[in-house]
Amino acid sequence: MDKKSFKGYLYLLPSMIIMFCFTIYPLVRAIIMSFLGNYSIINGSYSSIGIENYKALFADPDFAMSLKNTTIYVICVVPASIFLSLIIAVLINSCKKTKALFQTIYFLPYVTSVIAIGIVWRWMFNSNYGLINFMLGLVGISPIQWLNLPQYAMPALIIFAIWKSMAFNILIFLAGLQTIPEDLYRAARIDSTPKLRVFTRITVPQLAPMIVYSSVIGMIGAFKVYNEVFSLFQGKAGPANKAMTIVYYIYDKFYNSYKYGVAAAGSVVLFVIILIFTRIQLRVTGGNKK
Amino acid sequence: MKLRKIGASILAMAMATSMLAGCGETAAETTTDTQATEQTSETAEPAADTASTTEEAAATTEAKNIEATEITFWHAMNGNLESVLSEITDEFNNSNEYGIKVTLVNQGAYGDLQTKLQASAAADALPDLAQAYNNWLTPYLDKIVKLDDFVANDFDNWDDIVSAYRDECSEFGFIHAVPYNKSTYVLFYNKTMLDELGIAVPETWADVEAAAKTVMDSKNIAFIGYDDLAGAVEASLHQNGSDYVDATGAKFNDDKGLETFTYLSGLYNNGYARLVGEDGYFSNVLSNQQIASYVGSSAGVSYIKAEGWDLGVAPLPGNVQKAANMAGTNIVMFSQDSNKQLAAWEYLKYITSTDAVTKWAVGTGYLPIRQSSYETADYKAYMEENVCAAACYAQAKDFFFSPTFDASNDIRSTVPSTVESLVYDKADAQTWLDTVVGAINAQY
Repeated sequence: MDKKSFKGYLYLLPSMIIMFCFTIYPLVRAIIMSFLGNYSIINGSYSSIGIENYKALFADPDFAMSLKNTTIYVICVVPASIFLSLIIAVLINSCKKTKALFQTIYFLPYVTSVIAIGIVWRWMFNSNYGLINFMLGLVGISPIQWLNLPQYAMPALIIFAIWKSMAFNILIFLAGLQTIPEDLYRAARIDSTPKLRVFTRITVPQLAPMIVYSSVIGMIGAFKVYNEVFSLFQGKAGPANKAMTIVYYIYDKFYNSYKYGVAAAGSVVLFVIILIFTRIQLRVTGGNKK
Repeated sequence: MKLRKIGASILAMAMATSMLAGCGETAAETTTDTQATEQTSETAEPAADTASTTEEAAATTEAKNIEATEITFWHAMNGNLESVLSEITDEFNNSNEYGIKVTLVNQGAYGDLQTKLQASAAADALPDLAQAYNNWLTPYLDKIVKLDDFVANDFDNWDDIVSAYRDECSEFGFIHAVPYNKSTYVLFYNKTMLDELGIAVPETWADVEAAAKTVMDSKNIAFIGYDDLAGAVEASLHQNGSDYVDATGAKFNDDKGLETFTYLSGLYNNGYARLVGEDGYFSNVLSNQQIASYVGSSAGVSYIKAEGWDLGVAPLPGNVQKAANMAGTNIVMFSQDSNKQLAAWEYLKYITSTDAVTKWAVGTGYLPIRQSSYETADYKAYMEENVCAAACYAQAKDFFFSPTFDASNDIRSTVPSTVESLVYDKADAQTWLDTVVGAINAQY
């Protein structure tokens, strides 16, 4: 190691230490914990080494349900949020005068506490005097028991989450839109290309790196959904726990049931799932070449 | 290159904002949670083996020689409860002869206190004193100071403590806590509505069913709701003379259990009872007059807004016998330093003295933990004015607490969602029985 690279590593050291303490070490510990039966975080005792936590995990119907719910959540929230954000970003970008205003407005949900937003959405979803049922009533749809019936728990959560996650995507797409060379649009105008074609052939391909970035970050975040569930259902996992997600399950096992090993096994499973999906996603979109 | 730069700045921005958002959340969470209805209470279930490693309490027989020290007390009392606790603590700090200073640390709601205690136990950084439910303590029972010697040698009259509380505080085979902020589940009802319909306050299950039918026929709303579904199942089983659970499994897979679930499933399937759903707590539903009564913690009485109607409070209806859930925490000692133990004990003695207990009970609405406090003129006067206190006192002999063992936390979290599913499915009594028994036994 020459002097120059030594200096480089020295500069990296502080962030490496932080990363080791708060990311690498907990990760390794969680993996070890997941293989220890009846592990106690209090005194470090355990009764066996093996895969019994994983057996318990996969035998638990609640975990199966949380896997299913989380998958549905990711599949619905991420694409819908990106699609809507893209449209809104293009619309905001097209009116230069009000751009700054709308940019701020649409970013507000991102900087507001999820818990506070949850309280507002709980009111909007209210079956008797909620805004959503009122609007549905205007088009002749009878009131839906959004937060009261198990079958509406996931739809309510997904609607809430799409809205919540759009803020960040819009910000990224707006930043991306600034970088698209004006020449391309000018050329399209000269050829009098239809607007939709401009959107699909110029805007979307030029934004591709941003879309890939958003979908990867969005998907990782969506797999880890917890706050949204907690805030929308007042600390529970929805009626009859029908909106239980993986992280909610892990938290519950750790803090309420004291099943530390099972919670660790759950987080390892989640880690592997996210790892696989991110790999697939990067491969499909070719994002890792960029 | 340009893209990468933008990407990097966005990332930095996102990280910064997410940190901000993160900070905001914890604060907000605490507020949403403060109304959390008190969870369960626990029952005697000797666990001598778990206690074997517990450090013996410092000897207290010799002449007291306590050095001035500071004691930290973690609690989850908010609003008015916190001011009363501070007042009593200040009195102790100013009056004790040893220069002991107790510092109160508010840890938010019960849920926050529970997680912080657990994390501190793992980090070996527990406070000297903390409020706790028995079922929080199972993972770190060996870090709790045994109080038997203190109680035997340096407490005025342990028998003066309400017996159900004494049992609860010694359920692990040794005295692990002193009771403090105790409440019980009572029946809150809309007195105006019941009077209008000519319904007497229900004392039995049959009364509940009859009253519910009248309310349903004339008002088309549910009669009763339960804030704590696990507590409701447990109390109903006891009211029907059945056991609930022990360290080996469910104890009600019999005719008595079936009778109990015939009652409960009937209430829900006829629309006589409802789930709280989006309203969060039945105090909101009762306040809006969308239900005639509900069963909830006496500590939640201040959340009921009786505007345009009168609130009534009654003991829980019984069947073959009466039974009422206990709720509220006890105070546990963790400090391993013998001087601090002695100092903390001085504080515990002070706040559990008859006068301090009476002051606490009158100031907060929690139940006195001492029989002698019930006898004081102050508390008697308070009970005359306060319907809730009177109802609690009337059922003090019927208190029970749910036992703590390995699976008890899982049972507590499983039963409510299981019951909710059964209500949504409009299941019959036999299905209720089979499903609840199955869900409980799956936790062992």
